[in-house]
This record gives sequence, C-alpha cells and structure tokens, in this order.
Amino acid sequence: MATTTTHDTQEHGMAAADAARASVKVWDPFVRLFHWSLVAVVATAALTGFFAGASWLQVHVWAGTAMAALVVARVVWGFTGGSYARFSAFIRGPRQVISHLRGIVDGTEGRHIGHNPLGALMIVALLATAALLALTGAVALGGMFKFGPFAFLADFASGRLARELHSLLAWGLVLLVALHVAGAVFEGWRTRDNLMRAMVTGAKQRRPGDYPAPRLAARPMLGLAVGVVFLGGGAASVSTLASRPPLGVPTAPLDAVYADECGACHTAYHPSLLPAASWRALFANLGDHFGEDATLPPETVAKLEAYVTANAAEDFDTLPANAFRRTAADAPYQITATRFWKWMHAGISDAVFKSPAVGARGNCAACHRDAATGRFDPRRIDIPQEITR
Amino acid sequence: MMHKRKLAVLAAIAALAGATAVMAGPRDDILAGYAAEAGVTAFDAAAGKALFTGTHTGGKPETPSCTTCHTGNLTGPGKTRAGKVIEPMAVSANPQRFTDPAKVEKWFGRNCRSVLGRECSAKEKGDVITWLSSL
Repeated sequence: MATTTTHDTQEHGMAAADAARASVKVWDPFVRLFHWSLVAVVATAALTGFFAGASWLQVHVWAGTAMAALVVARVVWGFTGGSYARFSAFIRGPRQVISHLRGIVDGTEGRHIGHNPLGALMIVALLATAALLALTGAVALGGMFKFGPFAFLADFASGRLARELHSLLAWGLVLLVALHVAGAVFEGWRTRDNLMRAMVTGAKQRRPGDYPAPRLAARPMLGLAVGVVFLGGGAASVSTLASRPPLGVPTAPLDAVYADECGACHTAYHPSLLPAASWRALFANLGDHFGEDATLPPETVAKLEAYVTANAAEDFDTLPANAFRRTAADAPYQITATRFWKWMHAGISDAVFKSPAVGARGNCAACHRDAATGRFDPRRIDIPQEITR
Repeated sequence: MMHKRKLAVLAAIAALAGATAVMAGPRDDILAGYAAEAGVTAFDAAAGKALFTGTHTGGKPETPSCTTCHTGNLTGPGKTRAGKVIEPMAVSANPQRFTDPAKVEKWFGRNCRSVLGRECSAKEKGDVITWLSSL
C-alpha cells in the first residue's frame, strides 16, 4: 500500500526508507472496526427507535447494548491505544480549538493527520451522547417495560422521564452525526484528503507540514485485559441486576374464583388493568355487562370485588397499570375504549380482531402471551398470522 | 397387538358409558326438580329446540338467540362475543353438561335475561335440557 512521493525520493534518495514513512497507518484495525460497527448499530437503533413499533423493541435493545459495549471498548482503547487512538493525543483544550478555527478562517491551518482539535470534540460528544443514550434507554426500559438492569429500581415515572431524555438525546445524536459527516466532508475538501477511504484502509499519506502526532506505543494486551474486565464485569452486573424481581410487577397468580367466574366468557383480565373505582362501577352493573347479563350471587360479587380492588391499577407499576388508570369518561371500565388502548392498537387491522384466532378486541391473550400476568411485555406479543374466516 | 387395541377401545367405551351413566344421575335429579316446579310429568324436546334456536326480541340486542354464541351446531364448540371458546352444549359431545345444579341455574339465569329479557320458566329449562340431551 505504501506509495512514494516524487518529492520524497528527490530530496532524500533513500526510496525504501522513505516509502515506509510516506504512508502512515493512522487508524488502527480496532478504530476502524469500531467506527463502522458503531455506524451499523447506531443506524439499526435509530431506524428501529424512530420508525418501528413495539415488535422491534428487542432489536433496538440489542443494538443499544452493542452500542454501549462498543463505547466502553473505545474508551478503554482511548487510554491504551497508540498515537492516533489515544485520547490524550488528540483531545485539546478550548484555546487550541479556537486557534484551529482561526487558522481555518485565515487559511493558515495545516493538516492534522489524526483527529483535528474540533474533530476531537466531536469524538467526545459522540461517545458521551451514545453512552447517555444507552443509560437513558436502560432506565426507560426498566421503568416502563420492567426488564433489564434497572427494572428492580426504576418506577414508571422515572422510566418515562428517561424516555423523554432518550428521545432528546437521539435527536441530538442525529444532529451530531450530521455535523460529523459535514465536518469530515469539509476537512476532506480543505486538506484534499479522502477521509472516508482512510477510515477503511487506515492509511494516509504523510505530507510535509502535517502536525506531528505524539509517538505513543499502543498497549494492546493491556487494552484487551482491561476491556475484558470492564465488558465482562459490565455484562455480569447487568445480568445480575436484570434477574432481580422487577418493581411493581404482579407476581401472585390470579385468584381461582376470579379466573373461573370472569374467565368463563372472556380473558380473565388482570385486576391491575383497571383502577379500583372502575372495578366498583363494573361490579355494580353486572346485569348489563357489555351487552350481556353477567349476574353473580352477592357473596361472590363481594369476594371478587374485594380481590380486584386490592389488586387494582393503583397497586402496581406496570405500563398497563399506569396507562389504564386513565379510563374513558363514557366507558369507565372498558379497556378497549381508552385512548391508550386505541393508540397502541392503531396499527392492527380489523381483520386481525375478527379472525377466528382472535375473535374480539378484548381477547388480549390471543396476541399477548403474558396477558394473564398483567405484565404485557412487548417481547411477548405474537399476532396470529391466519386472518381468513 | 390388534387384540390389545380392540380391548383398549372397548375399555374406553365402557368407561365412557359408565361415566355417562354416573353423570346421568344428577341430570335426572335436575330435570325432576324442574318437572316438580313446573307441575309437568314430561318435557317437550321440540319446544326446547324452538326456544334455543329461535330469534328473540325481548333481550339485549347483542344476543338475539342462544345460537349467537352457542352456534347452530350444538355438538361443536361455541364462542363468546369476547372470543372465548364455549364447550359443546349437546350432552353427547359434553357429558358434563347439566350435572351441576348451581351452574345450570347460573347460566339459565344470565342467558335467559340476556336473550329473552326475562327469567326462563322451569318448563322451558326442562325442555331445553331434554332437547340438548337427545342430540
């Protein structure tokens, strides 16, 4: 790959030695692999996060996890890598960033063969944003969906706050990526360099007037060891935390009488799917229960009402328990009449609800495999495919 | 081998017949109770069929007939309006039918009010059970 410039051969006449110096490996294999892997996982996370529905959540979470692992690995390499990978070699203070910008405006700025001071800021911003995205994503996942390392700790309100931040950060990352690409295009034009190719081959041509990079020897074995400890420890902690019982998720099986009496005609809806006031209204009107008479003996009604009001939406912290606390004004105990239910199911066609495998909108268990638990984990949605009658 | 299988089938049939015979006891008691209440000596299967398969206007508009949910094929399963499967109504397909007095009363109560808008008489309940036992 090494090419010799005529300039070098003429001046020194030691072609072989100069040839080795003329082309310099700027981006080591790890940095290049990291860069393009990050592009892939960020693209996957962005596509699934911005455009895909709940059924893609798992892909999004895996992409985010991979992103977090990549960032950790890059940070480790930032302390153990060689000249162009080491943070201390390219992260500069504000004064140098300003003088770099002045030099660009004046046309006097030379070429940084690695990251220039402004580019270095971008690297830090990208890594920090990615790390915060992973963190807020994990808190949102734990608080709202009750899985992952923060499920035992984060309540729904903090999960929702984290999701707001997560979405702001996601837009921030989109902006940063756009600026990063624009910066690379501009710098490539300014220094007449093919920066994209350099990130593939790793090589750049050395030129007179390049800013020298400090000569720092990479310590790959140390980097590997620290990386393994960090990533291994991280994975172990995440899986230990994720296996702790999630906060506010029902664990007791459904009351047998409730499951028998109410499950005779429809899904035995978990009591946490309606607030206590709705349950009381429902039991007060069993004679006209969704267009049918569902009368029960008073002693059974009393028993069931005590059970459901003690396990109502207010008593749990799952996503449905939080969402269904707000009921429709004109149908206080019809889950499918709530705005949340309608919004969540807007993408499901009528044909699916009318299909033999589903039959009705209220048949939660036809698609939500964990409906009986009241949890409604997005990973356990399985919409029946056959929709012909 | 064939012998063994035949024996197994025979044993299964015998067991089923035995079960049906055992189950027939409570059903006869339930029918006897309705007969005493209605003051009749026999029930009318044809009247039961007419009530069960007929379309009614007195009840809730969602359920004009028993067959809305139980379907016209009583040896097969039905389906509630909420999508839940209902076991067959015909005793021949479901020997458990009409053997638990509390259940029988609960569902006649609910479903007569839903479909007819009133309670069923003891005569009507006996007619329907008699018809569904004859299928």
